[in-house]
Formats: sequence, structure tokens, C-alpha cells
Amino acid sequence: MKTPFWRNKRREFDDEVDTHLRMAADERTARGESAAEAKQSARREFGNVGLVKDVTREIWGWASLERLIQDLRYALRMLRKNPGFTIVAVLTLALGIGANTAIFSIVNAVLLRPLPFDNPSRLMMLHEGLPKIGYPKLDFSPPDLTVFTREQKSFSALGAFQDKHVNISGQGEPERVAAARVSASLFPMLGAQPLLGRAFLSSEDAPGHNVVILSYGLWQRHFGGASNVIGQTMEIDRQPYAIVGVMPRSFVFPLSGPDMNALPAEVWVPIAFTPAELQGWGGLYVTSVVGRLRPEVTLDQARGEMESLANRVADNYPMALSNLLHHGLTMTAVPFQTEVVGSVRTLLLVLMIAVGFVLLIACANVATLLLSRAATRQKEIAIRTALGATRLRLVRQMFTESIFLALAGGALGLLIAAWTRSFILALVPASIPLPHQVPINAGVLAFTVAVSVLAALLFGIAPALQSSAGALQVPLQEGGRGGTSSRPRHRLQGVFVASEFALALVLLVGAGLLIRSFVKLLQTNPGFRPDHLLTLTIPLPHQAYPHGAQIYDFYKQALERAAALPGVQNAALSSDLPLNAREMVSFSIEGRQNAQGNTPEAVCQSWIFGDYFQTMGISLLQGRWFTAEDQVASQPVAVVNLSMARKYWPEGALGKRIKWGVNDSWETVVGVVADVKEGPLNSILTPHVYRPYSQIAPGFLEEDPFGEWHTMNLSLRTQMDPTSLSSAVVAQIHSLDRDLAVTNIHTMTELVSSSFSGPEFTTVLIGALAALALFLAAIGIYGVLAYVVAQQTHDIGIRMALGAKPRDIFGLVIGRGVRLAAIGSVIGLAAAFGLTRLMKSLLYGVGAMDPLTFVGVVVVLIFVALLAVCIPARRATKVDPMVALRYE
Amino acid sequence: MKPRYQNRIELLQGTLDLLILQTLQWGPQHGYGISQAIRNRSGETLQVDTGSLYPALHRLEGQKWIKAAWKTSDNKQRVRVYQLTAAGKRQLLSERSRWQQISDAIAGILSPAKENQA
Repeated sequence: MKTPFWRNKRREFDDEVDTHLRMAADERTARGESAAEAKQSARREFGNVGLVKDVTREIWGWASLERLIQDLRYALRMLRKNPGFTIVAVLTLALGIGANTAIFSIVNAVLLRPLPFDNPSRLMMLHEGLPKIGYPKLDFSPPDLTVFTREQKSFSALGAFQDKHVNISGQGEPERVAAARVSASLFPMLGAQPLLGRAFLSSEDAPGHNVVILSYGLWQRHFGGASNVIGQTMEIDRQPYAIVGVMPRSFVFPLSGPDMNALPAEVWVPIAFTPAELQGWGGLYVTSVVGRLRPEVTLDQARGEMESLANRVADNYPMALSNLLHHGLTMTAVPFQTEVVGSVRTLLLVLMIAVGFVLLIACANVATLLLSRAATRQKEIAIRTALGATRLRLVRQMFTESIFLALAGGALGLLIAAWTRSFILALVPASIPLPHQVPINAGVLAFTVAVSVLAALLFGIAPALQSSAGALQVPLQEGGRGGTSSRPRHRLQGVFVASEFALALVLLVGAGLLIRSFVKLLQTNPGFRPDHLLTLTIPLPHQAYPHGAQIYDFYKQALERAAALPGVQNAALSSDLPLNAREMVSFSIEGRQNAQGNTPEAVCQSWIFGDYFQTMGISLLQGRWFTAEDQVASQPVAVVNLSMARKYWPEGALGKRIKWGVNDSWETVVGVVADVKEGPLNSILTPHVYRPYSQIAPGFLEEDPFGEWHTMNLSLRTQMDPTSLSSAVVAQIHSLDRDLAVTNIHTMTELVSSSFSGPEFTTVLIGALAALALFLAAIGIYGVLAYVVAQQTHDIGIRMALGAKPRDIFGLVIGRGVRLAAIGSVIGLAAAFGLTRLMKSLLYGVGAMDPLTFVGVVVVLIFVALLAVCIPARRATKVDPMVALRYE
Repeated sequence: MKPRYQNRIELLQGTLDLLILQTLQWGPQHGYGISQAIRNRSGETLQVDTGSLYPALHRLEGQKWIKAAWKTSDNKQRVRVYQLTAAGKRQLLSERSRWQQISDAIAGILSPAKENQA
């Protein structure tokens, strides 16, 4: 090994000093002193050799580097000498740092990454709203967008899009893919350039242009990435479309987000609003709008302009809808990034706090370990002080050890993070818009290093300061055994252990609340029987089924064929399914409409065909179900759920009449059914009205502004395992139309459990972190008390010699542990009261201050503390007074 | 330890540097020799602290006023011998004149009678 230059110089200086000493000694010998005497007095005259060397080396300038290396070598030696301590400390830190790195890598990929568009901070998502009738946040309706685009001045560009699904057919199996209608302005505004061909032209914003832009994925999959694809035609919903462009692989749009509820499109077609859409005043609030804020305009200014423009837009509404507007049309803008991240922000924030707590607990643990070890090192420290080490130098030395531990923990933590991260991401349910892969990039690495250093500061400083304070006087006199001098150390350890318990308590309360709400979710009665139910979606392409009668006939036959399958008890079609109610409509009640017409409330609405209630197992409470007699020509009827009946007709709903539009006819309520969970199981129950598909006039059926009458869901109640029927059902549908794409084939049980998946994910994650915290806190309290017992063996021996019973000793140690845990719990309770409010949106059916959870958690915590303390307490009772005293 | 010694070096800095440079003007010398020389020539009054001497030597070396080389002494010991450089000689002159000024000034303050007499 090559000798570093400073070591050479160092050795030279050592030689120089040696020479000095020898010459001084020689001179004294020459004067007649004995050799030993001369040597000693030469040394005495010289002074503190080590110190002179230190001070001189400092002149060299690179002393600090040298000292660092020295400290590092020393630290390594110390850590190697205590493998047990080192392993426990490094593992503890690795768990803490690993958890932080894993969560941070997700936060980094989701919250901190800018959207993959040009200057994304200026992109805003624009919304309309009718807050007074329960829609605070809507997308734009085409006519409103037209007026707004014409009048607004805050945005340099506006882009509109609307997600949908299309059937791609032609070669091979028909395929249903995610698509989006987009305005020509959208791609340029986002800064997206096509890889091949061109973007849409503004002339293509008008209807009548069958052009399509492909995603990279679809281009590869269907066209093998052929470059001559531009100009070819493909069939979309059975219409020929000319391919004009291919987007690059990196371009993903729409971005999936919680409130956007969209899938990245595989094909893009022009938005080309139809004349009917452009006249869809007061409805069709389904077009997403993104705007690029002008450089000189602030978000607040834009919002101000939008507020006043909302009134101008409202002035354009037809008179018949003026009632809607009396409730106030609003417009506002939200940063696109915020919109995309949405509710995940809360989840990630809570997770970040949770892992932060775990790290703090890990640090407290290592700090108590260091404090315990400082006791065994007191002699060493005293000797080093006696030899001239300053307190600063001692602190620096001990801190170097801490850094070492932390970096080793960080390195191991990185491995843990790499592993747990993929584990966590694999658990991410579709309902939570987290990416399934996140990179560990430079940012994440920097975070890990920073967290490691921070951890070293947290756990290293207090023990270093504490054990270097007054290091000289005590231990040498004391003979190295803990006595009075260990009291401040014990107090400090107590502080750490109590803080661990406080932190663990907060985490446990969080986890407890989530578990309680998850249990509540599981116990929720969905209002229908999810077992033995098969559901699937049969979308009919508009172009292939242009006439209302065709649509109706197709669905009628499909229903009959499905119902006739062996093993099928009941079959029904519906515009939506339980847990996934989509459409909200406002209506008026006979005799109760105000001057403007409708009551301002909106209710869920489903169109049903066949034995829907029997199939779903929704019980009929009053009146009747729909029958085959409910036809277009007969009296219009509706069935309402219990919530709706109670809300509007506490006196009894049967026979009451409602209507939807000004020109619609009155519908009579003929039945009341039980409430069904409309959304994810954690949502509240809402009024719901069911209307018979068979009463839709064929002309309306053709128009189908929401696309719902073309996209009916088939449900089958089966006698056997529902999945065994799926191929038979699809075969029946294909016997009617070979080119139809049948999608969303699921059992209802799957749908129910996927609606649990979001809360389950959160609960599992926070629960795991809380368990980790509890485990670390238990180790912490165990470690401290085991140490205290070991240190006080002598005292305990004396007590026992003086007649203390093992029971007393046991109680003494237990009492100490429980006191620490209790103090921690009280502090933790106060913190938890403040912090659980953050989680409100993640909870269902329990308050953020649920007393049962709080009490339960304290009980668990004290119980775990008791268990952890039992071992050292038992060991204390085993102390043999004779041995303990002789040990002295 | 460090603050204590640093203070002392600062206190003596100019003086000690001057003494070292002056000592080396009489010929190359090793550390022990320098300390003995100062001690002897001051009539045992000035005891140079090694904790000040060696840092000063290494500092002066860093400033290129003295240079060091390993030599073998009369009694076959390897010694590090310091020697004045040209820059060191110039520095010695300026330090001497500065010392003279200080010394005159202090002398003037300490013996005002002389001034009155004059």
C-alpha cells in the first residue's frame, strides 16, 4: 500500500521530536544525570508531546482532513469492537431510512415531478360549477366553452378534451380502447409534437373530419411501427378514419388522476362538437378544459376574470334554464398539477409523516443505545481527556461514529427501499393514481444521504454532548461503575424512550383509525347481494346502430339470450352498476316546483332493463317493480330508493309524480326499493331514481347525449360460479353481432373488493408503519431498562440484602418502564389530537378523534411496554445479593 | 488546550519569529539547538515552549523564510536542520527594525525622566 503523503510528513515530524528529546536527554546525561532521569526530565521539559505534535500539524493546514481520517479509522475500530451494538443500530436506522426513502421515491415521482408538458406550471384546469345544487366542480359544457373561449383574456390558449372508449375493428378480434376527443389547440398548447405526420388542424374542430392520431403503443401493436402508416385508414366504431399522425412514446394524455377518472388514450380524434352538443345548454358538463395562463396574468387574476365571465356565459342560457342559473354558475381554475395529483396528496402527506415518525423513533433508539454504550466508554473518554483531547474533539469523534452508523444504515436502507418500494407499488390498487414504477434517481439518493446525515445529527448529538460533558472528573474516581454520574444519562434515555412512545402512539392512533374505518367498510351493507353475479359492458357503436329501434332490439335480444343460458336465474341491463353510479340529474316534484320549475336538487339516475332488482338482490319495500307492460306508450313510471322517498315524500312516495325537463311528461313513482351503495363503499347514500329503458322513445335513444343508452351493462345472477358463464355469454352476444367488443367482464365480488382496495392499501401501509414503530419503541424501552437493571445490579443487590422481596424489585423496574410509557402516551395523545385531523378524508364511519381508538391504542401501548419491561424486570429479581455485592 | 496555546503563540508571535530568524542567522540549526541557543543567549531568561517553537518553525517554513533539510549530526543522529533563506534574511531585517521601534517606544514610555532631562 502506498503511504499517503501526510503520513510521511507525520513520521518525519515524529522523528524530529524524537531527536529533540534524545538530544535534550543526551545533554543531561553529559551533565551527569542518569539515563532514565535524563529521559524523563527531557520529556517533562518538552511538555505534552502529543499536544505539540497536534498543534504543529495544524500549521500544515490539512490537519482537519487527517483528523477526519483518524476519526473515521477510530470509529470503524470502535464499531467493529461492538458488533452487537453496531448491527442493532445499523438495522434500526436502515429500517427508518429505508421506509423514508421508499415513500420519498413515490412522493418524488408523483408530487415533485413536473408534468411532462411545456412550462407546466402555467397550465390550469378550468372548471364550471353549480355549487348550490350540489355540483361544486363540473367540466365545461360545449356551449359554455364556446362563449368562454370567445370572451376570455387570461389564457393564451385553451385546449378541450373528452375521454371515451372506441371499438377498433378490422383485422382480428374487435378491440375496445381508451380514446379522447381533443381540440386542435390542445397538443400545441401542451408542447407535444407528433412523431410522425401532423397534429389536428383547427378546421378539423368542425364535425365531418374522420381523422385520427395514434399513440405510440397502438402504432406498434397494430401497425408494427410501420412508418408508412400515415394516410392509411383504420376502422373506429365501424367508420373509416384516416391516420394523420403518431405521437411519441413519451406522450401520455389524458393523465390519469383521481378527479379526472380518465385512462391514457390510445387514439385521439378531433373533438368536433356536434350541433346538438353546441346547443346543450345546462347539461353536458363533460368536456375537460386546460388553459395556458398568459405570462403576465396571475392565477388569482384569471380566477377573477372567470368569475365575472361565468355571469356573462349564464346570460346566454335559454330562458327555460334560467332557474338553474338562479343557483349560480361558477367558473374557476386549478393548477393542472394539483388536479392530477388530487387526493393522493393527502395520502402521501400522511405517509411521509408516518415514515418521518418511524425514523424519529429509530433515531431515539440509537440515541439510547449510544448513551448506554457511553457508560462503558467513560473510562476511555476520561483517558482521552486526560491526554489532552478537547471536548470539541471528543464530540467530533463520537459524531464521526454516528455519521458512520447513519451512512451504513442509509446504504442498507436504500436496499430495503428498493425492495419495499416495488412491493408497495405492486399493492397500489387501480383506484389510487400512483405510478406502478418509480425510479430511484439522483434526487432520491440525495434524499437518502440527507436523511442519513440528519438522522446522525438527531441521534448522535445529544449522547456525544452528554458523555463528553465533565468527562474527566468522575469516572476515574468512580472506578467506572454507574452511580450518581449516570443519572443525567438515565434521564436523557428516559426522555428518548418517552418520545418514542409518544411518536408510536400517534402512528398507532392513525393506524387504529384506518383499521376501524376499514372494518366499518367491510361491515357496510351494500344494499344488494354481490355473490353469484356476473357483469359486463356491451357498448354499441353509434354508427353501427344509428336507429333507436335497432339499439332497443339488440339489447332486448341480448337480454333474452343471456337469460336463457342454463344456470342463469335472472338477467338485467342497466346504464350503471351499484358502486359506480354516474349520472346525476335534477328534477321537479309535482305541486312543489317553484317559479323557475325544477327543485334545485340532483339525484342519481339509472336506466334499467329486465329483472334488475331481482338480479341484484335489491329488496322491494313498497309498490312494484317494472314489468314488461311499462312501454313507451304506457304511463311513464319510476322506482325510487328509500333515501329519495324519505327525503321528498316522508308521507309516502307511491303515486307521487316527478319530471325532468320542462317538456317531459310526469312520471309516477310506482315502487320504493332499498338503498344501494352508489359509489365506493365509503361514500354516503344518495337519493336514486330508476327509470325503465323500455320507456325511452326511440328518437331519444338515437340522440343519447351521454352515451349511456349505448353502453348498457349486463348483469347475470347465476346458480354456479359466475365466471364459468362468461364465455357462454360473450358467445351469445357475438352470435348477435360478431364485431362487438364486450368489456369489463367481472364478477360483482371482484368489483366490491376493488372498491375496498384503496382503503385497504392505505390501512395496510399505515398499519405496517405503526407496527414497525411499536416494535422499535418496544425494543427501545426494553434496551433502556435492561441497561438500567444491569447498571444497578449493585443497588438491587443491596436492596435485596436489606430485605426487599423479588416482587418489590420486579415492581420497581416495571414501574419505571410503565412510567416512561405513560408519560410518552400522554404527550402522544396531545400530538395525535392535533395530527389525526389531517387524515379526515381517509376515514369512513369514525371521527378523527374516535375515543375508542385512542383508548385502545393507549392500552395496547402500555401492554407492549409491560411485555418489553418484563424481561429485564425478571432478570432484576434473579439478582443474587451476594454475587451483586461481591461483583464490586 | 488549543485556545491556551494559540493565545501564547499570538502573544509571542512576532518576538519568537524574530528570535528564531536571528538565531538562524548565526548558522543552520535544529529545533533543539534553536531552543537551547535562545535560552543560553538570553541568560536562561527566555524559555521557549516547544508547543510554540515547532508550530513557529513549521509556519516560518511555510512562509519560505526558512528551509529545512535532514542532516546527520556529529553524533550520528538524523536531525532536521533549519536554515535562513534570502527572503528570511530580508524578513529578519524588517523585523529587527520593527522591534527596535517598539523597544524604543516602550523605553521612552518607561523612562520619561530621561526625556525631561534632555
